[in-house]
Amino acid sequence: MLLRQWARRPGRAAATIASVAVAVGAVVATWVSADASRTGYRRLTEAVEGFPTVDVAARGGGRFDAQKLPSLADIPGVRAVVPLFYRPTLLRVGERRVREVAVGVAAQTLTELGLMKLSAGRPCVSFEEVVLEESLAESLGLGLGDEILFFARRRIERMTVVGLAERSSISWFAETSGVIVDIRVLGEMSRSLGSLDRARVVLKGEATRQQALKAIRKRLPESLLAEIPVGRASMAEDVLHSADLGLDFVTGLTVAMAWFIVGNAMLMNVTERRRGFSLMRLLGATGRQVRRLVVLEAALLGLVGAILGAGIGLLAAGPISAGISRALQAPPGEQLLVQPLVLPVSIALGVLVAMAAAWWPAQEATDVDLLEGLASAPQPPARGTPWKFIVAVGLLTLLAVLNQALVLTEVFPPRAAVPGGMTLLLAFVATTPILLPPIARLLAQLIPRRFRVETTLAVEQILRQPVRTALTTGVLVVAVTNGIGLGHAIRDNVDDVLGWYSRMMRADWVLTHAGMISAAGSAEGLDSGSAETEVRELQGIDRVEGIGIATGRLAGSACVVVARDMTPGDPLPLEPVGLSADELRAALERGEVAAGTVLARRTGIKPGDEVPVEVFGRTTNVTVAGLVIDYTSGGSSLHLTRAAARRLFGMNKADLLLITAPEGQAERLREPLGRIADEHAMLLRSFGDVRAFVDRIVQGVVGSLWAILGLGFVVGSLGVANTVTMNVLEKRRTLGLLRAVGMTRGQVTRMVVIESLLLGAAGGLIGLFGGVTTALFIQLASQPLLGHPIQASFRPDVVAVNLIAAVAITAIAAWLPARRAAGLDLLESISAE
Amino acid sequence: MSILQAEQLTKTFETGGDATKVAAVGGVDFSVAKGEFVAITGASGSGKSTLLHMLGGITRPSSGRVVLEDVDLATLDDDALALIRRRRIGFIFQRYNLLPELSLLENVALPLVLDGKGEAACDAAARKALEAVGMAARSGHRPDELSGGEQQRGAIARALVTEPAIVLADEPTGALDSANSARVIELLQELVHGQHQTVVMVTHDPDSAAAADRTISMRDGLIFSDTAAGAGVS
Ligand SMILES: Nc1ncnc2c1ncn2[C@@H]1O[C@H](COP(=O)(O)OP(=O)(O)OP(=O)(O)O)[C@@H](O)[C@H]1O
Ligand SMILES: [Mg+2]
Repeated sequence: MLLRQWARRPGRAAATIASVAVAVGAVVATWVSADASRTGYRRLTEAVEGFPTVDVAARGGGRFDAQKLPSLADIPGVRAVVPLFYRPTLLRVGERRVREVAVGVAAQTLTELGLMKLSAGRPCVSFEEVVLEESLAESLGLGLGDEILFFARRRIERMTVVGLAERSSISWFAETSGVIVDIRVLGEMSRSLGSLDRARVVLKGEATRQQALKAIRKRLPESLLAEIPVGRASMAEDVLHSADLGLDFVTGLTVAMAWFIVGNAMLMNVTERRRGFSLMRLLGATGRQVRRLVVLEAALLGLVGAILGAGIGLLAAGPISAGISRALQAPPGEQLLVQPLVLPVSIALGVLVAMAAAWWPAQEATDVDLLEGLASAPQPPARGTPWKFIVAVGLLTLLAVLNQALVLTEVFPPRAAVPGGMTLLLAFVATTPILLPPIARLLAQLIPRRFRVETTLAVEQILRQPVRTALTTGVLVVAVTNGIGLGHAIRDNVDDVLGWYSRMMRADWVLTHAGMISAAGSAEGLDSGSAETEVRELQGIDRVEGIGIATGRLAGSACVVVARDMTPGDPLPLEPVGLSADELRAALERGEVAAGTVLARRTGIKPGDEVPVEVFGRTTNVTVAGLVIDYTSGGSSLHLTRAAARRLFGMNKADLLLITAPEGQAERLREPLGRIADEHAMLLRSFGDVRAFVDRIVQGVVGSLWAILGLGFVVGSLGVANTVTMNVLEKRRTLGLLRAVGMTRGQVTRMVVIESLLLGAAGGLIGLFGGVTTALFIQLASQPLLGHPIQASFRPDVVAVNLIAAVAITAIAAWLPARRAAGLDLLESISAE
Repeated sequence: MSILQAEQLTKTFETGGDATKVAAVGGVDFSVAKGEFVAITGASGSGKSTLLHMLGGITRPSSGRVVLEDVDLATLDDDALALIRRRRIGFIFQRYNLLPELSLLENVALPLVLDGKGEAACDAAARKALEAVGMAARSGHRPDELSGGEQQRGAIARALVTEPAIVLADEPTGALDSANSARVIELLQELVHGQHQTVVMVTHDPDSAAAADRTISMRDGLIFSDTAAGAGVS
């Protein structure tokens, strides 16, 4: 019976199946792509930060006996335990002398484990063998088989370069150093065989650091401690946090959009046949029988569609995921990673939603009076104020706001903002039946008078079917909300990070030690004092700022201490929260410190507190002047002037020199600075180089989010095309009548296109409000993550792109059905029931 | 003076996959004079509707010509045909004549609106047409608020609103009870005699057919008889 019905109306069954397929496909594709993004982010962080690691070090500082280190390798989530030994040395290459920190590791084992990658040669194992980082080797003009002289404690070793290592594969343990020697060799050379500076515990990708920390701490003797290593600036991590939240939002919104599409398809499929159902009941079928038939049909159509959609989704996810990997410049995954749950959950939900969506109109259709059901015209739309929807909007908004309040007060975790955002989105969709009529009428005024006929009819059609129109518009509202909301949130976040970065690194040139190891402290002092003096004496320099970085500990939390020249008259390189730049500057000059917002959040310190801070094993009490927005080490940072750092912690050296030339004369400094860099074995990089590195990360993250957003728009357009097609199929009689009384094909085409355009524009406008609200929502939600509010902004370009996309997509989506409507056989349409 | 001529009209449908051909109309010749009220009768499936659709430019004949006011419909493209339907022909179907989305007045004004006439002119003409069928009081109502007979009267008003050359009606009373049928037929009669309209009406109902000036009776796609009122077989 069902089959016969479908055979008679293959178009309708196909359109319904297509809707389900599109929806389920979207969910699968988004889900898989979001997973691919997360994997990509992780790889990216690995490339920047190294692998997720936990450090074991001596509690009192300094080296410790390797014997004391208990076995940790069997702890779940631990991938490898890597003992490290650092040793400042002087290398001689021909006439050049280079200060470097040599890093002792079990190079052979690391290479075998894939934790270190050699681009040429083999790992070092014995005396007289060394592995150099590629770019260091290149800058020193060294290749495989070349020799260098290695000065260490009254001995001079002649060593051969046996291997070249990829920078990204060693930075997780060697940081910025590029000289790698076997750990036993280096220990022996330093006459301290068997002792370690630290043991770095590499975790598996899925392990969380907190769990690993706990397990490791349980095994350590009193003299050792485990901590999360800090040191390298990890601005990437916070971008990733927000991006992760963004991904959750996108996935959630796509799911919502998908269900709108499925719901709409089923709704139409059933509503269209009201008369048929009435006839069946007239012939003796009970309401229950009819409903059972409808739900069974929905289940079958839904299942076919969902399975098709899952296939399509997987096909689509392939190139999207590859694109994301490319955007993140991570190597494309060996194969598509599909979580086992994705497919069954998507398919099951597709079928369930289809059944639910079919049941409701079937219930309505079988509830109505038999004669009314048989009446020639479908029911007129309810006139007057749609109280039902107003109440729904109110309740949903209230729920969303409540949820958000709980997230902000940290009763709920930041993730909980996602369901909150979805609720808000539902509220926006629920406003469509209320807002659509006035908006559609208003927009209709903008259409040229020439198309008055088509416009009038189109508006009538829209107002005729409030629920269906709302669902169709809902799809667009979701797409636009998605685009505008995330577009804003992402850009604001990125701007926040970039703003911080350019504040922090405002200079033309950056001079650092080739092998600076900040985390290892500077007990042995890689002094750059003379380099700094020389730079300051150079002609044609506007400003030199020295930055010293050291690892410290505040209230049991690892932190980075950043000591910086803050010359009066230069702009303050910090962005204070809750106090003015001048107030902060004055306090810093008095010797107080500024804390990063994340550190403050984590340790609970407040402005005005006096807290003990430990640096290089020395504990000093400092006064917290205020909080600053900072991403150094993910915001776990303390900032103070260099003078104060010298007095409080004995921090003398500058790890970084930021050099600014007078306007337009930066290039002139390249030569003299290059000379100083060579002399002191330092590295000179232009601001552009540094900036390019950050940009790469940021662009990758933003690119991947846009890719998924784009997917949302494609799905939205398919949904619209489907809805309009169904509208056309359902209105065959109306269209036939219109043609019979003299409507031309052109007029029919225009009417359908105008109808879609009005839907698109209305959806776009409602989505605009939804989007701006969602953006605020995401920003508020990421506040607890970042510890500070992100400056929200209104971006006309993002809004314009989204609105244009919404309208263009509906216009394109309407084109085929419109052509189809115009091409319908007149006679058949007239005879259609 | 003839206003509509059918010359050797045929229509063949190819049905299903087996490509059997059904000759719905198999070669029909006749002409309709201005001011004539013609009824077409015949058994179900005899080709009445198919003939009417060809006369009104809704379907194109397989062979033969339809000439309306000296214009050969076969020479027109789709858009020109739409214009003829809009301006020169008034259609009345058995039911579902009115768009449920529009009020009665809007429905009646539809052909004028489609023609891009000004709002005021459309309104005035539609009101006049509704008055003529005695439905002026219901102009603001939607079709589902009207009875079947009222809907059909509205359909007549719409058919008249453009002052067409000819009104084509396919069983306009087919869905009505006898009282309402009589009312509708009376209206059509008034049109022809009072306003000199031309009407071609397909009907099953002998009473309705009797109201016409001339009855064409069809059998198996051919004209079986063509009689003037009160006369014998011609
Ligand atoms: N679109 C079509 N495709 C195939 N055959 C058709 C089509 N339309 C009509 N026919 C056939 O043409 C013949 C004439 O049909 P038509 O609708 O003109 O009859 P009718 O005289 O109007 O009948 P009724 O009084 O039942 O309305 C019938 O045999 C019908 O089956
Ligand atoms: Mg018929």
